[in-house]
Amino acid sequence: MKGRGLLWLGLVALGPAIWAAAFTLVYALHGAGCAAGWAGIDAGPVSLHRLLMLLGWLAGITAGGWLLLRLPAGKDRETWLPRAGALIGLFATLFTLVPVLFASSC
Amino acid sequence: MTENSMPPADHLANPPQPALRLHRELTRVWSNAPGIRGVFTAVNHSTIGLRFMCTALIFFGIGGLLAMLIRTQLATRKGAFLDTEIYNQIFTMHGSIMMFLFAIPMLEGLAMYLLPKMLGTRDMAFPRLSAFGYWCYLFGGLILIGALLMGVAPRDGWFMYTPLSGSTYSPGINADVWLLGVTFVEISALAAAVEITVTILRMRAPGMKLTQMPLFAWYILGAAVMMLAGFPPLILGSVLLEIERAFGWPFFDPERGGDPLLWQHLFWLFGHPEVYIIFLPAAGILSTVIPVLSRTRILGYGAIVASILGLVFLSFGLWVHHMFAVGIPHMALAFFSAASLLVAVPTAVQVFAWIGTMWKGRPQLKLPMLYILGFFFTFVMGGLTGVMLAIVPFNWQAHDTAFVTAHLHYVLIGGFVFPMMAGLAYWLPMISGRRRIKGLGELAFWTILVGFHGTFFIMHLTGLVGMPRRIDVYPDHPEWEMLNLVSSVFSFVMTFGFALFALDCILQAWLGKHARRDPWKAPTLDWAMALPPPAYNFASLPRPDMTGSEYAGGAEVALTLARGEGVLPGAPRGHREVLVTGIGHASPQHVAILPANTALPIQFAASIGVFVLMMLFGLYYVALAALLPVLWFAWRWARALVPAGSVPPVEIAPGLQLPTHYDSAATLTGSGLACFLFANGTFFASLIFGLAFITLVSPGPAPPPLEGQAAVSAMLIAGGLLAAALASLVPGRALKEVSEAGSPLRLIAFGLAANLAALAALAGLAIWQLGDPRVHAQTAVRAALLGYVALQLFITAIFAAFALDQARRGELAAGHLGALRHWNLWQGYTLAIGAISAAVIWAQVLSQ
Amino acid sequence: MMSILKRMAAVSVPLFAAQACAAPLSTLDPAGPSAEAIAWLWWVFLAGAGGLTLFVMALLALSFGAPRAVSERRWTWGLGVWFSLAILSAMLVAGVAVGERLLPRDTALEVRAHAQQWSWTFTHPGPDGTVIETGRDLHIPAGQPVDVRITSADVIHSFWVPRLAGKMDAIPGRENVLRLQAASPGIYEGRCAEFCGIGYATHRFRVIAHDPADWPASVPAQAEEAPE
Repeated sequence: MKGRGLLWLGLVALGPAIWAAAFTLVYALHGAGCAAGWAGIDAGPVSLHRLLMLLGWLAGITAGGWLLLRLPAGKDRETWLPRAGALIGLFATLFTLVPVLFASSC
Repeated sequence: MTENSMPPADHLANPPQPALRLHRELTRVWSNAPGIRGVFTAVNHSTIGLRFMCTALIFFGIGGLLAMLIRTQLATRKGAFLDTEIYNQIFTMHGSIMMFLFAIPMLEGLAMYLLPKMLGTRDMAFPRLSAFGYWCYLFGGLILIGALLMGVAPRDGWFMYTPLSGSTYSPGINADVWLLGVTFVEISALAAAVEITVTILRMRAPGMKLTQMPLFAWYILGAAVMMLAGFPPLILGSVLLEIERAFGWPFFDPERGGDPLLWQHLFWLFGHPEVYIIFLPAAGILSTVIPVLSRTRILGYGAIVASILGLVFLSFGLWVHHMFAVGIPHMALAFFSAASLLVAVPTAVQVFAWIGTMWKGRPQLKLPMLYILGFFFTFVMGGLTGVMLAIVPFNWQAHDTAFVTAHLHYVLIGGFVFPMMAGLAYWLPMISGRRRIKGLGELAFWTILVGFHGTFFIMHLTGLVGMPRRIDVYPDHPEWEMLNLVSSVFSFVMTFGFALFALDCILQAWLGKHARRDPWKAPTLDWAMALPPPAYNFASLPRPDMTGSEYAGGAEVALTLARGEGVLPGAPRGHREVLVTGIGHASPQHVAILPANTALPIQFAASIGVFVLMMLFGLYYVALAALLPVLWFAWRWARALVPAGSVPPVEIAPGLQLPTHYDSAATLTGSGLACFLFANGTFFASLIFGLAFITLVSPGPAPPPLEGQAAVSAMLIAGGLLAAALASLVPGRALKEVSEAGSPLRLIAFGLAANLAALAALAGLAIWQLGDPRVHAQTAVRAALLGYVALQLFITAIFAAFALDQARRGELAAGHLGALRHWNLWQGYTLAIGAISAAVIWAQVLSQ
Repeated sequence: MMSILKRMAAVSVPLFAAQACAAPLSTLDPAGPSAEAIAWLWWVFLAGAGGLTLFVMALLALSFGAPRAVSERRWTWGLGVWFSLAILSAMLVAGVAVGERLLPRDTALEVRAHAQQWSWTFTHPGPDGTVIETGRDLHIPAGQPVDVRITSADVIHSFWVPRLAGKMDAIPGRENVLRLQAASPGIYEGRCAEFCGIGYATHRFRVIAHDPADWPASVPAQAEEAPE
């Protein structure tokens, strides 16, 4: 945080922002797919609809994991908080979108 | 954002001065005007904060009285106490008052009162805005209460679902009172959110790092950012519904392509974050008071900040759990169910961090601690029923029953009212300067606790055996009668307890012995001052070695600061001076000169009030004319920011000179404008969401064929965008030219003309190409988007006109660039949303 | 008032609670698989919530006393994150699993419920292949799933028969489907469960489940609708 207060705050919020983006993306894909009838199109073992949502979910997990790996580890709050944010983002992406795997789509 | 380097602590020390002389000097500059004039011209944060809290408590009393009427009506099966129409008004007003006129203003008031003291400064960032917010709140609240007294209060439930709140099923002005009154009140919420954010980020005592500031400030920062993002969807929804009611644009009318579910999305997109906006400040009180009363430091500062971060974001992903029964597909419900469950994790982290803190220390059973125990007992249960309601199938049964009523009172009274009372018990010695009277507070606490649980615990069962919320009689359900009677009886016990609490506060302020300084031995700066606090808080601002220390609130620090040994002592120049610091490390950047007492806030708020009343009475042309005074006061508001002449730099410590904000780039006003644009952007994003929702998701008839010719539309849009793009080059160039060659009068005039040209293109589009917005929701939402862009262009044009006026007066000079910078920011925003709107409308037209 | 207090004194609380559970709109007195699954969820939640409340209160009580060394990790990560997450994950799985079971799948008998301020119009099969419209009673066969297609003429209402299933909103411009099943023949109370204006309190109806052997012959023709 060397003279970069706003940037540091942004970095802290980046992890949860990744969750917000992934959550919005998958929810939008869900709504659009139900409206456009993608659930009825097969794509391998799952429907095209579920496949797209799975891809959105994986993209969110990848972004969250990437951020977590990029951030330095450390005990002091200025280093730790961005990492905590990344963990929150990654974990929230995993947990809130897990119904993509098993809930009925439309 | 560049930050100057942080001078070492001892370089910030000033030589001691006589404390009394400093006190007199500062009091002359900072205190309110005497007598009745002071009522209308005060801008001081302590005064405004107290006004917010007192007014909120009065509204709490009114809301409580309404609750008593509800409980009286429900005590028996065939209650003939109120007729249904009045009953509907009463429960609608009970919810609306408690949410909009009590909870939110209460937390704003507490934050305004405490933040500058805790952060080690003398006022909020925008004192006039605090006062303006208060008057908007008061006038809006009076409109709502006036409607209640005249029997025309809103009656459609506090979440105002359409079509019930539409003009067909809710004729008369009842619903308009809610839409206009609440929106008027929300101006104060947005104003408070902007200035709280800026105050916390830019006005901390030098050297108080973000990562070391009191947790209370982190909580309030989280709540303020959430308000910036959460209130715009509600304001948008209210504006759209009011336009539908007033002018027949069918945003929510399914027969003309609208969708009642859009209202629910917009309302709950605000409504659920709102719960956490209310909870965060309350949790901030707990994180402050628990360690002090346990004689230790908080356990897990970092974990708590991370929890706040998690809550701020996650709480925006839960809103659909209020809509589990509207027929949304199960997978979408499951996403929101999972998010609603997950949000319990950061809450649990805090609860366990608090209990761990108590394990770590030696908890003292003083009055605030009693309320904290009441919080734990109540909030844990409310949280657990909340987790149950997050489960979709259970929600299908419990939704809209008395179970939900019980749950939400456990969460709001447990999670907001009890912590607030703990906070009041803790800070009343500061506010009143007096000690409390022993015994009365404890009696009030136990009466409230017993009354509360007696009322609401059994109400869970009432709901599970089928009683819906919002009914007034249940003649065929004798099995609910006993349950309701028990709730009603205990609700009167609870009311008696709140009356005792009020009595205790009044007696303390009136008869209590004078409190000694720092009665709790607190480690925060809010206690490092005389009680009650002087108008200026600190005779000199705290140095880095004082913030966050074990005894920051102690007498030694207080004395040092009172003798002027801190930073920026006294008011030798006769201005209200505060120190502006960098976001991260709080290194000193410049000295801001805050505005003194003025009646402008009440005049500005009153002019908006006239507009609101004209809208309410359906006098739309008069309302349009009523916007002129609003503009006039806004202009005067901005003119008051222009300095009369050049202001020399200020020595904040021996040898350390800082420029004033007139000669600085990163001003508080600039930060505030950025915050406001963030909220404005959320409003725009909500509008785009509404357009997409109506275009893609809403069932109903197909939109009518497009009017006008595509080529003409394209030309108008391209012309408008080109004009806006040209205009956006101006302020940046003007900024350069001022520094090099003086006032660029012609350039600024060109910028104004280009904005007006873009506005003309938009008007052409609306008149010749749009079609009648009353025919179909898709046309209506397109028109709303055009209207929004036009409003931004209009505001940009005002900025340009203001700069032109400044250039004409010869006020623009190398150092004084305020208006140009802010115009630049707004112009950029306008161009961006203009381009996005053009793309969105193009996509919408293609999809037809 | 006095008589109510006397009655209050006469009835012991547990007996009273048991009586209350068996009420006509009680979600705790299920009469179909859907309501039964949800009632089960509730009892499990209640036990869990009771245990957790006691646990937290015990921790709180133990905090009063001499200062102790505490591990920040154990309190914030251990109790705050992992402990709560374990419970919440189990609840998510249970909730989604039960929710999936309650969704309308396959085909089932279809009936219609059309809401307006403040009455209902039900459409269902009648004797001899007729289609019958009624104003107060929805007739269905017991022991088999029935899909109710729910619509509204004016404002938002909600179709709720607590002893059979959860509620589903009636939204103008949309059609929602709710799966109902009554385990045995009988009369089940229902009501509107979304605030819908001045007549909300009495916006009620009944679901009458018939013996499947007599269905739909036993459905009365409109004129013979049973009196209240």
